[in-house]
Amino acid sequence: MPSSLKYFLTRLSGSLITMLVGTIVVFLVMKAAPGDPALIVLGDYATDETVAEFNRKHGLDAPLMSQYLDWLGGLIQFDFGQSLSVSSGENIGDLLLYRLPNTIFVGVYAILIAVTLSLVLGTLAALNRGTSVDTSATSLAVLGVSMPDFWFGYMLILGLSIGLGWFPSYGFTPASESLAGAFYSGFLPALAIAAPMAAVFTRTLRTALIENLDREHVMVAKAMGHSGRFRFLHHVFRNSLIPYITVVGLQIRYLLGGVVIIERIFGINGVGSLMVEAAFARDFFVVQACAVVFLGIVLAVNYVVDLICAMLDPRRVR
Amino acid sequence: MTRSNTISRRSLLKSGAAATTVAMVPFWAGAAQASCSTLRAGITGYNVINTLDPGQMTLIPEAYMVWGIFNCLLKFDEDMNIVPDLAESYESVSPTVLRFKLREGVKFHDGEEMTSEDVKFTIERLQDEAFGSPHRSKFSAITEIRTPDDYTVEIETEEPFAPMLSYLTNTRTGSQIVPKHILENGSNEDFASNPIGTGPFKLVSHEPGAALELAAHDAYFEEGLPKVQTVEVPLIAEESAGVTALLGGSIDVTSTAPFADVPQLEEDDRVQVLKQAGTSTRFVSLNNSVAPFDDVHFRRALSYAFDRQAMVNVVLFGEGRAANGIIPSSISWAATQEPPELVTLNQEKALAELEKSKYGAGTEATVLTWGSSWWKRFAEVFVLQVNQVLGVNFKVEVSDSGTVYQRMQTGDVQASIWGWLGLVDPDEYAYEVYHTDGARNFENYSNPEVDKLLEAARRETDLEARGALYREAEALAIEDCPVLPCFESNVHNLLAPDVEGFVQLPYSAFGAQLSAVGNC
Amino acid sequence: MKLRHFLHNRTALAGLTITTLFLLAVFFGPMLSKWSSNQHDFMNALQAPSWAHPFGTDSLGRDVITRVLEGARISLLISVSGVFAAMVFGITAGLYSGFYGGWMDVVVMRVVDLLFAFPAFVLALFLMVALGYGVTNVALAIMLVYLPIFARITRNMTETVRNDAYVQAAQVMGQGVPRILFREILPNISAPILVQATIAIAFGIVIESGLSFIGLGVQPPTPSLGVIMADGQEYFRRSPWVLTLTGLSVTIALLGLNLLGDGIRDLSDPRLKVRE
Repeated sequence: MPSSLKYFLTRLSGSLITMLVGTIVVFLVMKAAPGDPALIVLGDYATDETVAEFNRKHGLDAPLMSQYLDWLGGLIQFDFGQSLSVSSGENIGDLLLYRLPNTIFVGVYAILIAVTLSLVLGTLAALNRGTSVDTSATSLAVLGVSMPDFWFGYMLILGLSIGLGWFPSYGFTPASESLAGAFYSGFLPALAIAAPMAAVFTRTLRTALIENLDREHVMVAKAMGHSGRFRFLHHVFRNSLIPYITVVGLQIRYLLGGVVIIERIFGINGVGSLMVEAAFARDFFVVQACAVVFLGIVLAVNYVVDLICAMLDPRRVR
Repeated sequence: MTRSNTISRRSLLKSGAAATTVAMVPFWAGAAQASCSTLRAGITGYNVINTLDPGQMTLIPEAYMVWGIFNCLLKFDEDMNIVPDLAESYESVSPTVLRFKLREGVKFHDGEEMTSEDVKFTIERLQDEAFGSPHRSKFSAITEIRTPDDYTVEIETEEPFAPMLSYLTNTRTGSQIVPKHILENGSNEDFASNPIGTGPFKLVSHEPGAALELAAHDAYFEEGLPKVQTVEVPLIAEESAGVTALLGGSIDVTSTAPFADVPQLEEDDRVQVLKQAGTSTRFVSLNNSVAPFDDVHFRRALSYAFDRQAMVNVVLFGEGRAANGIIPSSISWAATQEPPELVTLNQEKALAELEKSKYGAGTEATVLTWGSSWWKRFAEVFVLQVNQVLGVNFKVEVSDSGTVYQRMQTGDVQASIWGWLGLVDPDEYAYEVYHTDGARNFENYSNPEVDKLLEAARRETDLEARGALYREAEALAIEDCPVLPCFESNVHNLLAPDVEGFVQLPYSAFGAQLSAVGNC
Repeated sequence: MKLRHFLHNRTALAGLTITTLFLLAVFFGPMLSKWSSNQHDFMNALQAPSWAHPFGTDSLGRDVITRVLEGARISLLISVSGVFAAMVFGITAGLYSGFYGGWMDVVVMRVVDLLFAFPAFVLALFLMVALGYGVTNVALAIMLVYLPIFARITRNMTETVRNDAYVQAAQVMGQGVPRILFREILPNISAPILVQATIAIAFGIVIESGLSFIGLGVQPPTPSLGVIMADGQEYFRRSPWVLTLTGLSVTIALLGLNLLGDGIRDLSDPRLKVRE
């Protein structure tokens, strides 16, 4: 299938170019930011010699272009250099490797919760269009997008942690140590991130299902005498999947944004909380590494979503 | 992460509770045990540890760990008296020479014996400009270190230097004894993540931003210590999360407590609250060389214009006390005893001083602050009060601590909220802040009479006489209001109900006290 | 879109009502309150909600509801200016690239793709580190988060109407390109942009509060909604009402804006349903 192969390759090269431009922008913005990394690390004990020594050691005395190429060369091998102040001297790649699984776990967990909630609510609403069930589901959805995620996180802590004592309010057991523990300790943060997403998914699914319920081929299927249940699942659901998956893919931006602040509140050692800590410590190297990692995740997820949609609906390829 | 130790950490993890599990209390977890081999001591309120090299440490959580991994020649006992530690005894041979007799048979974590050569090496390393220690200035008075034999050290200063004993205690001074045989040829960077000391605990692993793990040093010189085999130290950035973790039984000790929650915790049976006035000072630093703070009457007007007890109530939720000066009251032999008139709210005098000043109502200035919310609130409370009483128009500007510190040092600031915690010698407060050449004098304050008294205090070896000199110097300095002393905050530790043996010291000697904890 | 239709749409009406009440409260509430947002009373710190202080008082004894109303004004101002700037630049870029196509379109869309690939909050956080904290920079961050969205919508809509009769007629009559873009095309594609703007303002408030909440956005004593919540977070266990009620107010305000956006969308084009 040459045309589909061409489509995948074009999309891939598009993503790679975006990634490349992204690294240039991140690099240049960080260079332009006020504050000298050497002074941040050496602080009040900085002398001209120690600053020069520091810059030599970190390659900061080289021309801008070669600094960028060095950095880029490192990125390709997952080598982000050394942390300045948030965990000084530590290899940033190691920091990320340790934290990335936690971020991915919580993110995927949140998507699972959001998808489950939206499948139930969206289907209920579409099947009972115009009834009080529909109104409640849609109202719940609007409420979901209207709550700041971090505030919802605190409300969950107030109710389920401080009040009822069912869940821990802080801390996270990495999945590598205990899978059950990870699901348990990650529940509140994942739920806080999932709430606004579930709302968006529910609305998308409801709209798509309603549109497809009215479609012609459903009528045809009806005439052919399939059972209503089968008709619903087979045709309507399948055709509603593409807008749904597209929206799930688009929401990855908001998901990762939510992860940053929620990780901090719930004390999860993830890339998001690392980025906030680095921001406070003015650790430019770690901040730019985190930004690049998030950029990479979004581009990768969007690419995969495109592939899935193309597989579900080959007409898109052309 | 200390790579060489990762494997041992993993195997430990399999046999015990998870180290990075902070506030996790799974519903399937067992009940608390009566005696323990693993102590879970959370560092709360901080989660950055950049170095475990005493010579380079600056942050409080770094000191917490260094105190448990290393020893100094001297230490503070429970009543804050200086007593021998690695030294067996010490004496003044002459006003400028201190002689220390070292304990014999003290072993570093790697099994090598600690000798006078290590002491000499440690101090010379701190003095070495190339090493760039933040503690260098404390030891610049030392002219020579002699080691007549393996167990004798003589430290000579050019002039009598009274603070030297404090600087050789196991506090935030950096004089923890490091092994010459390792650092002579090894790299300082390696040592910062693989510290080797003589202390009761050795480092097993360090996961940056997450947790540390310590194990008992079996050959530790103090008989019967440490009492526990393992210490897990989760780094918990949020203080309130430390409370949850402790109440839920997933840690045994915290290094701090959130001010707002202390009254409730004191009523709670599930926790022991230890608290006392901390060795700390919080003040408003004024840049005496820029307008409007270049006018002594204006500075005095400000000092009269705010209620320090209200600050304690609002900023610390009552967990502290109004300051009489910048020498903390816990250093009782040198601290100002009664609140001087100039550090007491007096609206009439405030307005009278403003009248004499060349600046009047409506004067604008920016007060720089930083950090977590109570530091911000500190600035707000100050500004709200002086604006109300004097009719001036002050504003708050918030930045991060690094930037504030840098701007204070370069003088690029009008006024800022600042403070020091855990410094143990009055010299570190009074001399360094008030003296013209003081390392912490960011106010550009200079008063020859104050300088003279502070210099005399450095030479005076009699404690009482020395304390009197500090009081005299501070009384003079307060008349000039170079800084506005505000309050001292309490230090807190939260302990699980059955924890025994933890002794709290006013400088918050967290790591150093863990070896005596037996029950948890 | 007729007012009559608008008032018959329940969603739009509910949204409009809540938004109007919110705006009235924000602009007139502080005047009616007997407290001011920075009026402290150290003896009455952390009072629970009562008739005198419906939202209680904060750590400095200030009336929380007065601060929330004042804070909402600041947060709204930041969000609206950020979104407005995003609209100005985004719509202009979108109109030109949709109208001309070609290399210009490619360049604009690449930039848009790039900005779009950053998680919104990560982009905002990154900019705060690069630019420093403060009101203006938060607005700037909101602008950069929303610029690609406006650019993309405008471009796609412009592309679809580019060959419509009225556009061609204007070209034949010799009207200049800027006039065609802003006088002919823009009014015809304004509905989806308006919908987006309403939702963007709502989400802009969330970005502001999020940044200020973790301490990297607006800084005290400026009482933005995020700053008030950050203060309330510190003594959340002792006095949970400050954070709880402030957040609840934000939620209700955003609910109004979101319903309003939904209502406008339903009325203008029932098929345009995917939220971005």
